[in-house]
Amino acid sequence: MAAQRQASSASQIPHISPAELSYLYTSLSLPGNPIRPDGRSPTQFRPLSAETDILLGTNGSARVGFADGTQAIVGVKAEVERTPLGIEALSQAEQEEYAAESNKKDTGSNGDGIKRGSSSGQGSWVQMAIEIPGFRDDDALPVFLAEMMREPLVESVSAGGEGGMVGGLKGRLVINRRWHWRLYIDVLLLSQPLSYPLPLLSLTTHLALLSTKLPKLKSKGEEDPFFDDDWNAAEYLYPRVKSTSTKRSSIPGSLSVHKVRPPVTLLVISVAENIIFDPNREEIAVADAVLAISVTNNTDSDGLKLLSIRTIDPPSRLTQPGVPNSENVATLGSTAAAEESVIVNPSTGEEEVLGVWRPRRGGIKRMTIAKMVKMVLEKGGVGEEVLEGLEGVEVG
Amino acid sequence: MPLDTSTTYPLTKLRLDGRRWNELRLIQAQISTNPASSGSSYLAMGNTTILCSVHGPAEGRRGDATGGSAGGSGAVVEVDVNIAGFASVDRKRRAGGSDRQSGRIASTLRTAFQSHLHTYLYPHSTISIHVSVLSADGSLLAAAVNACTLALVDAGIPMPGLLCGCTSAMSGSASTPRDPLNDFLDPLLDVSLPEEQELPYLTVATTTSVPTGADEDDDDMKVSMLTMDSKVHHTYIETMLAVGVDGCKQIREILDGVIKGSSRQ
Repeated sequence: MAAQRQASSASQIPHISPAELSYLYTSLSLPGNPIRPDGRSPTQFRPLSAETDILLGTNGSARVGFADGTQAIVGVKAEVERTPLGIEALSQAEQEEYAAESNKKDTGSNGDGIKRGSSSGQGSWVQMAIEIPGFRDDDALPVFLAEMMREPLVESVSAGGEGGMVGGLKGRLVINRRWHWRLYIDVLLLSQPLSYPLPLLSLTTHLALLSTKLPKLKSKGEEDPFFDDDWNAAEYLYPRVKSTSTKRSSIPGSLSVHKVRPPVTLLVISVAENIIFDPNREEIAVADAVLAISVTNNTDSDGLKLLSIRTIDPPSRLTQPGVPNSENVATLGSTAAAEESVIVNPSTGEEEVLGVWRPRRGGIKRMTIAKMVKMVLEKGGVGEEVLEGLEGVEVG
Repeated sequence: MPLDTSTTYPLTKLRLDGRRWNELRLIQAQISTNPASSGSSYLAMGNTTILCSVHGPAEGRRGDATGGSAGGSGAVVEVDVNIAGFASVDRKRRAGGSDRQSGRIASTLRTAFQSHLHTYLYPHSTISIHVSVLSADGSLLAAAVNACTLALVDAGIPMPGLLCGCTSAMSGSASTPRDPLNDFLDPLLDVSLPEEQELPYLTVATTTSVPTGADEDDDDMKVSMLTMDSKVHHTYIETMLAVGVDGCKQIREILDGVIKGSSRQ
């Protein structure tokens, strides 16, 4: 456990010898057709089971379990909080400056600055905490993961209209100018992470937010908020619209669909020319680059939109290198140097000896990133598949 | 209508949630809930929900302060209690990773199970128990004891008998000596959170004694853990303890059923 505490970024490195790493790398980098240790196709996810609304004491909750036994539980709790009178408390000059600034930022809007201020929330109203056994909650890994998931969540802004959310999640949390909701998202990982827990936590958070309900507001306008006691009348945090189009009816059991959905963060790795989704621990250990890509559905069109990309320090950097025979004192002279063909790795441009593991030195080609993003976003691509799969989970 | 037990109970003889004095809350339990651990369990006592997972017995950590020599004679039990931020009505977040309540539960569980389990069978090893409280509604320690017992049974760690915990309270402040002629206070079994906050209560855990011969009485119970944080006059302790021990007996039957039911599948 001590070693795990030290691992700051991409989970712990499994104890694999350089020869095994090289074997794994070679089979994953087979052009066009990588062979994964568990036999999945490059875009296939691990099987998982999911359920929502499992905790009665929360506004929304979900549990997701991967087949390897790692489970996560997310509980969302909302509290009403008084908005510090930010804009009103400013002096007249500052108010005008604020108005000018927000008009500049949003050139399309014709509302004045103060009105905009009342309908836009703040990112700090969403708090996220991740609990991983064996880690303190102020350790690097939980803090980094929480921020990585919170960022796209609060920054995704969507258009209004029926079933839309003006100002995104931040806008939804505004009750009126003096009051707002504060959202606490608590993520609980139930076992030691066997692989980098980001996809698991992200999917669970997504489902929990979809099932989150806020009590129906009875007071109007600038009154102190007063809510309906009836929990059945509560409204979903992410509003639903009755499904009218026939193309969505392919999903069984879903009467209502979400026009706006919380973002999903996918973990993508590149090995040589290949792009691999939902990597397990061994696969991450040989990755050239690890990327966390956050996407959500686009309210304006049918497609997906990219919210954020984060690079994650690939753990292969810390692995032990293998020693080629030509440099090995023990085998010196036994093999002619000419027998070992030096090849150039297509993704890193480094010279390598075939079958000898070299830790990745970082660096990723722009082409590779573009390819990763394209695979996530394209129509019928991985992002769409994941969101559709999550829609199939019975919510509420 | 007043919403506290000490005023309503004498009038109705019913508690806030409609139970009589000797009724347990609904207990639901499951074992082997998490395939990634050696043993795991889920236990719900009323609205108190607990998940527990056990890892080990496994080789202890190296470079640890207690590692190596300390586990020489038997396994070391480690307990980690995590009360989720969303567990209670108001969301609480404590700084630094642990608070007093979870720390106390963890140390009580550690001492209880360290002496309860047959640790001498596993020298130089560690049994680590991880308890997550998903929803807290009173009797946390008792529920945690029961959940740990189930998870340890699932992990196959030998113990002399099931360790079952239960709470009991008095239906009033019980600060004056008990009057045998005018005895208006009733003991209450299995307290919920509002009762726990206003009434004196104790947590007791019992186990069966090791069967030594054929004529041994099977129902012979041994108290192996007893804690009390609140003040009560000593004349009431005996009643509370008797009710608590009886509750443990009922819980033992329920847990027994859960274990036998799961092995049949």
